[in-house]
Amino acid sequence: MPLVLVSILLPIVAGALLVLLPRGDRVLSRAIGTVVAAITFGTVLAAGTSEWSARWLSRPFESAFHFGATPISYWIALLLALCTACAVAACRVERTRDFVALLLALEGTMLGLFLARDLLVFALFWDLMLVPVFFALVGWGEHPATAWRYFIYNFAGGLTLLLATAAFGIIYGSTDVIGSGGAPLAGGWAPWIYAGFAFAFLVKTPVWPLHTWMPPTYSGLPSPMVSVVSGVQSKAGLYGFLVIGTALLPAYVHQYATPLMVLAGISLIYGAVVALTQNDAKRIVAYSSLSHLGLIIIAIASANPLALDGALVYIVAHGLFSAALFLLLGYVEEREGTRGLPRLGGLAWMNPRLGGALCIAALAALGLPGLAGFAGELLILIGVYQAGYVWPVVVALVAIVLASAYMLRLYQDIMNGPQREDLPIRADLTWLEGLAVAPLLAALLLVGVFPKPLLVNAAITSAQSGTLR
Amino acid sequence: MTLSFTNADWSAILPVEIVAAAGLAVLLADLFSGRKQWRYVSIVIGLLGVVAAGIVAGRQFGHNYDAFFGGFMAGGFATVFEEIVLIGTAGSLLLYGTIGPAGRVAGTTAIMLWSACGAMLMAGAANLIAIFLGLELLSLGLYALCASVDRKTARESALKYLILSSTATAFLLFGAALLFGATGSVMLDDFINPSLATSPIFWMGAGMFLIGLVFKLSLVPFHTWTPDVFEGAPLPVTAFMSVVTKTGALAVFARFTYDALPPGVAAKLLLPVWIVAAISMIVGNVGMLAQVDLKRLLAYSGIAQVGYIVVALAGGTPLGLRYAIYYLTAYALMNLGAFAVAASISGPDEDGSQLSSYRGLGRRRPWLAAAMTIFLLALSGLPPTAGFLGKILILAVTVANGYIWLAAALIAGTAISLYAYAKVIRAMYAPEEGQHEHDLRPFVPLAWASAALCAAAVVAMTFYPLTPSNVLPLVR
Repeated sequence: MPLVLVSILLPIVAGALLVLLPRGDRVLSRAIGTVVAAITFGTVLAAGTSEWSARWLSRPFESAFHFGATPISYWIALLLALCTACAVAACRVERTRDFVALLLALEGTMLGLFLARDLLVFALFWDLMLVPVFFALVGWGEHPATAWRYFIYNFAGGLTLLLATAAFGIIYGSTDVIGSGGAPLAGGWAPWIYAGFAFAFLVKTPVWPLHTWMPPTYSGLPSPMVSVVSGVQSKAGLYGFLVIGTALLPAYVHQYATPLMVLAGISLIYGAVVALTQNDAKRIVAYSSLSHLGLIIIAIASANPLALDGALVYIVAHGLFSAALFLLLGYVEEREGTRGLPRLGGLAWMNPRLGGALCIAALAALGLPGLAGFAGELLILIGVYQAGYVWPVVVALVAIVLASAYMLRLYQDIMNGPQREDLPIRADLTWLEGLAVAPLLAALLLVGVFPKPLLVNAAITSAQSGTLR
Repeated sequence: MTLSFTNADWSAILPVEIVAAAGLAVLLADLFSGRKQWRYVSIVIGLLGVVAAGIVAGRQFGHNYDAFFGGFMAGGFATVFEEIVLIGTAGSLLLYGTIGPAGRVAGTTAIMLWSACGAMLMAGAANLIAIFLGLELLSLGLYALCASVDRKTARESALKYLILSSTATAFLLFGAALLFGATGSVMLDDFINPSLATSPIFWMGAGMFLIGLVFKLSLVPFHTWTPDVFEGAPLPVTAFMSVVTKTGALAVFARFTYDALPPGVAAKLLLPVWIVAAISMIVGNVGMLAQVDLKRLLAYSGIAQVGYIVVALAGGTPLGLRYAIYYLTAYALMNLGAFAVAASISGPDEDGSQLSSYRGLGRRRPWLAAAMTIFLLALSGLPPTAGFLGKILILAVTVANGYIWLAAALIAGTAISLYAYAKVIRAMYAPEEGQHEHDLRPFVPLAWASAALCAAAVVAMTFYPLTPSNVLPLVR
């Protein structure tokens, strides 16, 4: 069986087989899940850009179950596999067995999405990846309405994606086009097709004003799941913009660059300002996500080669630090039973390792040089400026300054200050807990000092499959 | 003129004859059961008949010929619709494993089989008389089936269905009479005559004929009977009505709109039907939102789902017909599956149709809940199910035929429907909050088998999209 297929099916099948374990199991399912996720990481790594394809439809348009990484999706798939492995290892929720199964299902469906080379398969996995998150929100969420909001918003996006895919297939004759260098589409229905894709991508990312499903979802989900959802699932829209928008409908990305940038600019500032005012730690990171991902939208809208490369670096960087932040905030909540900033404080005295880890993640998020966030931000800002867009750069710089403010506030209110008498004093990170976040932090540092492998020349490779350099 | 039928005529309707004979066999076998009331014997004999008919019908596929002087078109189209009717009948029969008093299973099984004969006749009917014959055979059985349990709602359901369905039949019959008046013929292929395009009697006749069909399809505004009748009728009968009646009516509708209209008339004459289908997709899905009874929910869902299928026929392309058949098959399987799950958790009083009985099902019956989830995902058009692919194919063909507004209505309807379907999923998997728990039946082999088969088929159809290619021609 081809490795690329193994990497998609293995987590799904393994997750389904976990049901064979006893219902109350906590240890074994987590161990098996971690091993499976690690193996999946290995298969993604080993599969490289190899491809596999099987005919699906021949009418009304050609479509195939065609999988294989492009240089762009290769890195996102690796990010996904890494985040999932860490999340499963850090997983300590009730009904562990079922939760791990959902996490693995989420990984499999998202790998299917990122490795899909066919638009229809992309749309299929787009809808499919909503299901595990919906179940997690139903079974482990804090408020029932959150599950609805997540599902309905994202499925509405999925529907426009579907309609756009169908129209694309009818006009183009084939949907087997991702990363294959097909001729760009223009004229006729093409603007509407672009609108259908763009709506889905903007909901998923999300971008103001389509973001209202996001804060309750991110704060309501258990930490391991939200670290994958925020870390990787939110990148599905950005990835779509790269390989579908930029590659197949470039004329419209260019034509509608300004409205896109305006929305993204509002998200940048709005997300940052709201993050400053929130007291719920997870919501701060959620709104910071809204802000950070706006920057990537700006990069993609500018269509500058340097900015597009920066976009991929920042996609990976954001995935790493938001996954790490959510996992660490999960540890904090587990220890103290709260994540409200006014209730927390002084944790670093008793938990130096937890404090150090949170510090690294927060610094990466605010764009400290030497960590991954900075590399992406810098490339994007230079690229966007080169493309001749000055005001978005100014807006982004303001947002980056605000990012320092809310990230430091997050860190300080939890870790610094006097120890709270009314909070239980718990042990520092165990080696297992530490091991679960260490790969993310190490990767942050690695990408920060050596981002070169990620500079895949996204402007060209988004349209063509190629080999990794 | 004397009419003499040949062997070729009788062999064209061999599947119908087999099913009818199976009904007789069920009754005969019941004579020997005495007081023991063999529930399973009736079901097994009925299933054997259905399977035999399915095999015989399958062998007719690809051999198009007309029997009974053009009254019945055997072959591709008829075969496909007969098979769907048989699937629906088999799925409904399986539900009798638990539902209803055992003493009545033989009688109701026999009537159901004969009803199915009517639907199978409709699948091949190519003249107005055969259409009417099939329709009445189907409906007469259903009136009795609806009232086949001792329950006030069941009697109400039967009476309602009798009165409203008769009204629709009157429309259809009057329309048929006018069509005959305009053409001097009952044969559908005589309607292709271009001179009819200007005949007002033909237009009136065709319009009333379509109204009768739309009632049977339960599209808006002729849909109000569906939820009440579905709720009151016994579960197997509800499943039967939701699949078989609609299949028969769709067969006639497709045949009439594809091959029995003068050139140039279709676009104008059928526009109201497409509008009605678009409204049905919205109204059906909105109607689902407030339901607390699974049968009512699926009744409204069926209104919308048939809307999707009818939309595929807009434009009259062969590809559209193939996708309509694909989606109809998928719809039959997911509906039967959902009813099978409902039957599996129901007692004789059919409490399993209440949404509250699904609370916590994910923990107590994980496999049933997983199957139900697949059916609900399919109904809402989510992958990895046939509902997803079916919707894509219908969307694609609708867009290609230039009916963008229908595609938009389909999308809007689907978005609305999500909440209603997901509500059931949520009920099954939400953590308990200490409510009263519904008593579950232990293990119901037939209904479980039906649910498992349907779930497997619904998933498999996504990856092997079988859309039959040689279903044309539809009339002689």
